[in-house]
Amino acid sequence: MEAAIAGIGATEFSKESGRSELRLAAEAVLAALADAGLDPSDVDGMVTFTQDSNQEISVAKEIGAGDLTFFSRVHYGGGAACGTVMHAAMAVATGMADTVVCYRAFNERSGRRFGQPDARLGGEPSSQGLEMSWHVPYGLMTPAAWVAMFAQRYMHTTGATSEDFGRVAVAMRRHASTNPAAWFHQRPITLAEHQESRWIVEPLHLLDCCQESDGAVAVVVTTAERARDLRQAPALITAAAQGAGAGQMMMTSYYRDGMDGLPEISVVGRRLWEMSGLGPSDIQTAILYDHFTPFVLMQLEELGFCGRGEARSYIQDGGIELGGRLPVNPHGGQLGEAYIHGMNGIAEAVRQVRGSSVNQVPGVHNVLVTAGTGVPTSGLILSAA
Amino acid sequence: MRTLTDDEVAIGSVLPELSIELTPTVVVSTALATMDFTPVHHDVEGARAQGSKDIFLNILTTMGLVERYVTDWAGPEAVIRRINVKLGVPAYAGDRLSFNGTIVSRSETDYTVEVRGKVSLGDHATGTVTFSLPES
Amino acid sequence: MTSDELLELADKQIAMGELRGSPSDDPVNAPMIRHWLDAMGNRNPLFLDKGLAPPSMAQVWTMSGVKRGKDPSPVDDLLKALDAHGYTGVVATNCEHTYHRYVRVGERLTPGTRFTSLAGPKKTAMGEGYFATWNVTWYDEDSEPVAEMMFRVLKFRPRVRREPYPLKPAVNRDTAFFWEGVRQGELRIQRCSSCGSLRHPPGPVCPSCHSTEQGYVVACGEGTVYSYVVHHHPPVPGKETPFVVAVVELPEGVRIVGNIVDCPVEAVGIGMSLRVTYRPMDDELILPMWAPRET
Repeated sequence: MEAAIAGIGATEFSKESGRSELRLAAEAVLAALADAGLDPSDVDGMVTFTQDSNQEISVAKEIGAGDLTFFSRVHYGGGAACGTVMHAAMAVATGMADTVVCYRAFNERSGRRFGQPDARLGGEPSSQGLEMSWHVPYGLMTPAAWVAMFAQRYMHTTGATSEDFGRVAVAMRRHASTNPAAWFHQRPITLAEHQESRWIVEPLHLLDCCQESDGAVAVVVTTAERARDLRQAPALITAAAQGAGAGQMMMTSYYRDGMDGLPEISVVGRRLWEMSGLGPSDIQTAILYDHFTPFVLMQLEELGFCGRGEARSYIQDGGIELGGRLPVNPHGGQLGEAYIHGMNGIAEAVRQVRGSSVNQVPGVHNVLVTAGTGVPTSGLILSAA
Repeated sequence: MRTLTDDEVAIGSVLPELSIELTPTVVVSTALATMDFTPVHHDVEGARAQGSKDIFLNILTTMGLVERYVTDWAGPEAVIRRINVKLGVPAYAGDRLSFNGTIVSRSETDYTVEVRGKVSLGDHATGTVTFSLPES
Repeated sequence: MTSDELLELADKQIAMGELRGSPSDDPVNAPMIRHWLDAMGNRNPLFLDKGLAPPSMAQVWTMSGVKRGKDPSPVDDLLKALDAHGYTGVVATNCEHTYHRYVRVGERLTPGTRFTSLAGPKKTAMGEGYFATWNVTWYDEDSEPVAEMMFRVLKFRPRVRREPYPLKPAVNRDTAFFWEGVRQGELRIQRCSSCGSLRHPPGPVCPSCHSTEQGYVVACGEGTVYSYVVHHHPPVPGKETPFVVAVVELPEGVRIVGNIVDCPVEAVGIGMSLRVTYRPMDDELILPMWAPRET
């Protein structure tokens, strides 16, 4: 890949931003451009999530960008995160654009909350509405419930327990506790607190679920060559991939296999290793999408960091904590820092590559990043130049 | 008006149809003539408030019209002995009530006519009327 | 009040026998007969010519009018009790008159009312209800009966329209057969008419052979829990928490999602045997759900 992330920017992460989503988007994009040392007039491409409420042209207008030659959107909720960077990288690699901004902005806590049931999900005469119609009438209609169904089966086949899920939450909150940007800064939890937190959807406790946040994150993608001349050390996009498995559904792929894995992440992982020529041992830290704790375990297996059913041993004794065998989400992830649909994880990966994270992992050369799981997803390997 | 004689009535004799246009005037005037002041028989708003689409015929009138249907045909001297009516759908103002009848049985003294009164919604009243004719 | 209590009250009212009312305020009279004949369109000359009342006017002579008081009747208490019990709807079902003789102008009639039966509760097209029957006899001044009436009403509990269930499925040409089956108490699994593959959820094209000719088989209705969740939070419209949703594996070889009902939440586990059951959610939607299979 001949592309790199040259700048990152974000708003503060909160429970109530007090501003419009468009304003959040513009603020994050301007911050990312400033970080890269670029001017809004340099932007000629924009990518966001299909779920984002801010049109590319609206954000471009707010920041005073000029003509756009490339704009696209990536579907499937948080599965889009790394996909936005992949689309941007393809655009700059093919000359469709020079400077592409990827952004995600929402008031997910103070505005529309994804964790709340929406009765309209099942009623729409679209292929997704029809897919939802096999589940929503039974009240199976929140992301926590969709994920819990996989988690229950995973526990059954691997012997993983709620405490194993809890260890992921404890690790993320430990990382967030030393990250001033994190909502849960200085608020670590214990495994006992995890176990005592109320049920959301069994087998998931409240502390198995990521937080809900208001905020925005943006990254600037340009050619690797150009990035080298900009203000920050580039984070090279060594590999980027999207993935959906055979028989995939939005978040209810209950009909295709053993329900104890995430085939879409396996697709992404295979592509990332192929494109980069790297393997798990070449990764110093990973940003694994942690909307719900069980899927962190399943991702470790699908990406080959450990064997099938072995994640519960892999994460024992701080295995995914700072100082462990593979520090995961040094920023605290979406459980600890903020839920910005995975875009804040990409920003952390860039900081790790630059060596500028508050929770810097020593000797980082390659960082693997994933996007929303259980849905069609995406991934990146970012590397130091 | 002439009363039928015994040899003019047989099992299977068919009564001519009587069709009555149920104007609001018919519904209201018959309700009052039968001393029935229930609002559903004269007050459109009251009837609608109770879930009916309009004012409708009261039962005392249905009985009176069944009597009339048989004596219109059999004649003034026919003596009505019994009227048995099974009540069906309401007969609303604006509808039309049509009676049909057939002689279905006779005893030494009495004839029984099967009567059906239909409106657009279906059977309003079905049943039998038993009458006798004066000895000729 | 239970249905037994209603029937007991009915027995009491029946045991009261006939209650005589007051004699009619006005005697049988020509003006009312003329008015009645006119309104009925009855041109029978017999009545006014001979001073007789039309027989079906029997009840008219003793109607209570607009503001005049009503005579006590053994029927009233029972109708009130039925109202109190929720059977507030009323529709007359039968009216039978027997005329012993035609009454003459000048006669004064007195009604007597007997409650004769209460039958129910019965399921009817109007809703659940009781049939209440009473008899009225009209007597002349010599206490001889001149006319009798049997009157029957259905007192029913008006059907309450169920709140529409908020979680409706989208249904289209590819999935209508499934929901039609559910309405008929059948769990239908799509079967490719060309290669025979079974598939759930269904779709328009067979992923194996690409045929667009799709039929279905009716599942035997048994299944086992493949995975499940217990939903506690947040509240879901139309559902009471906690509730169980399961991925159910069918012996036919497909999986289907549904609620597990008639089973304590703690008793649900992977591998549990289930049997399909059909639950009406509102006046339109029926959902297939799953109950523990009797062993």
